[in-house]
Amino acid sequence: MAYRDLRSFLDKLEAEGQLVRVTQMTHPEPDLGSAARAVNNLGDQSPALLFNNIHGYKTGNVALNVIGSWPNHALMMGLPKDTPVKEQFLEFARRWNKFPVPVERVETAPFQANKITEDINLFEVLPLFRLNHEDSGCFIDKACVISRDLDDPENFQKQNVGIYRLQVKGKDKLGIQPIPTHDIGLHLKIAEERGENLPVTIAIGCDPVITTIAGSPLAYDQSEYEMAGAIQGEPYRIVQSKHSGLDIPWGAEVVLEGEIIAGYRELEGPFGEFTGSYSDARRQPVIQINAMYYRDNPIFEHLYLGMPWTELDYMTSVATSVPLYHQLKEAFPEVVAVNAMYTVGLVAIISTKTRYGGFAKAVGMRAMTTPHGLGYCKLVIVVDDFVDPFNVPQVMWALSTRVAPDKDMVMIPNASVLALDPSSDPPGITHKVVIDATTPKYPETRGEMFAPTVEPPRDTQKWETIIKQLMNK
Amino acid sequence: MYTCPRCDSNEADILCESPIKGCWIMYICPDCTFSWRSTEPETITNPKIYNPRFKVDTSDLSKYQIHPLIPQRRS
Ligand SMILES: [Zn+2]
Repeated sequence: MAYRDLRSFLDKLEAEGQLVRVTQMTHPEPDLGSAARAVNNLGDQSPALLFNNIHGYKTGNVALNVIGSWPNHALMMGLPKDTPVKEQFLEFARRWNKFPVPVERVETAPFQANKITEDINLFEVLPLFRLNHEDSGCFIDKACVISRDLDDPENFQKQNVGIYRLQVKGKDKLGIQPIPTHDIGLHLKIAEERGENLPVTIAIGCDPVITTIAGSPLAYDQSEYEMAGAIQGEPYRIVQSKHSGLDIPWGAEVVLEGEIIAGYRELEGPFGEFTGSYSDARRQPVIQINAMYYRDNPIFEHLYLGMPWTELDYMTSVATSVPLYHQLKEAFPEVVAVNAMYTVGLVAIISTKTRYGGFAKAVGMRAMTTPHGLGYCKLVIVVDDFVDPFNVPQVMWALSTRVAPDKDMVMIPNASVLALDPSSDPPGITHKVVIDATTPKYPETRGEMFAPTVEPPRDTQKWETIIKQLMNK
Repeated sequence: MYTCPRCDSNEADILCESPIKGCWIMYICPDCTFSWRSTEPETITNPKIYNPRFKVDTSDLSKYQIHPLIPQRRS
């Protein structure tokens, strides 16, 4: 069963004991940011938070940490909340292959209940707040930003739904950070080459599936809406904007219609980023908001960023690992699973069968040449097929016992990485490393003599089941 | 006019007031785009104790990277 909006997913979380309502009076700063950090510190089973009493607001609702734990991520996919991570990965990978699922188009949506086109004031509708202490203002950081390729505007597949940080710079003005390699970066480049503003629609407070897909690295001409349909197992419901012609998630809480001003840049940032470091102030584009729509009693959904792990890591972990896995598997069917969940894949762990000596190094280098790997995959660890890449102690075992530093480290100098990696120098350039932590194979001379791995006793799996049953009695 | 805690500009102005009047005021600086709320700690609102590592100098904007670069217009 698909969730059509954020509200119905919050209801599901509450029914499953994965939502905490905060009804006490809460200050925008530093309460909301502190609570968001705190809930991330509670571990990987933590609940979502829903605030409804924000200082200065008659009706101010803020949702935080909505997908910020493994149970919440499983529920997003409609799976039992105790589904292990590797199973969530394999199920996500299976559904990914159902792409594309055609969308469901409807004429009306709940967000059309309230419309403002004059004297727009974002602060009247959204309980905006500063998240981390040194942020340059209030940000909107978990909204779906929708845009089109102005050279091919009728092409539905090239329409993009992505998540980009938005600094609130006025009552009706936002700053945006479009990464040049991301789809919106391409859209903006085309618009600016044409000398035209780029129309954008911003959908705040959406169902969890479109938010997850918007944060995952699809190809330029893959529709996020058709992928959301594949992941939720039902056509994704959208409504076309009368203002811009862009397609909007039906269930959005708040919708902003605007345009990125061509050829103009203004100071934006710093902002505490997913790397756990602040990004510097940079001169970035600006969005003028021309219209605002919202549901009655709207919910502002926001996401905490900072030192991992935070909600973002749960949200992007499986959704980033799966496209890397499918792209790698095209070249190397031997690949078993990919864990790119550490800081959006700056570290990636790949488990694979190997055919001969040196094979794992080739798999690792291929990861760095995938579209996502170009900007991430700085450290790639390749392990054997029998190592679960999501089981960090097993990966550490492979590093401890399989790696000879003189033979198993490959350095690729001056490769590309996203400029937000604080270790890159200059920003955007870094050396990259493949660590081959697989068991050596012929014709490597270590292959013949390498100490045999201890296989589990024959009936281990049978006994796992027996013990589980005994525990549940 | 008000002083911006981050860049010390004296051009800062009121951005808006809380929907329930009297709870707080948001201010914004037109020079560095910094914004702050009257109810925030002094380490945010007071220019004298604002974190020096995060101060911004708007006298020479060329120090700040343009991101992304503005492409040439097609002729
Ligand atoms: Zn300033």
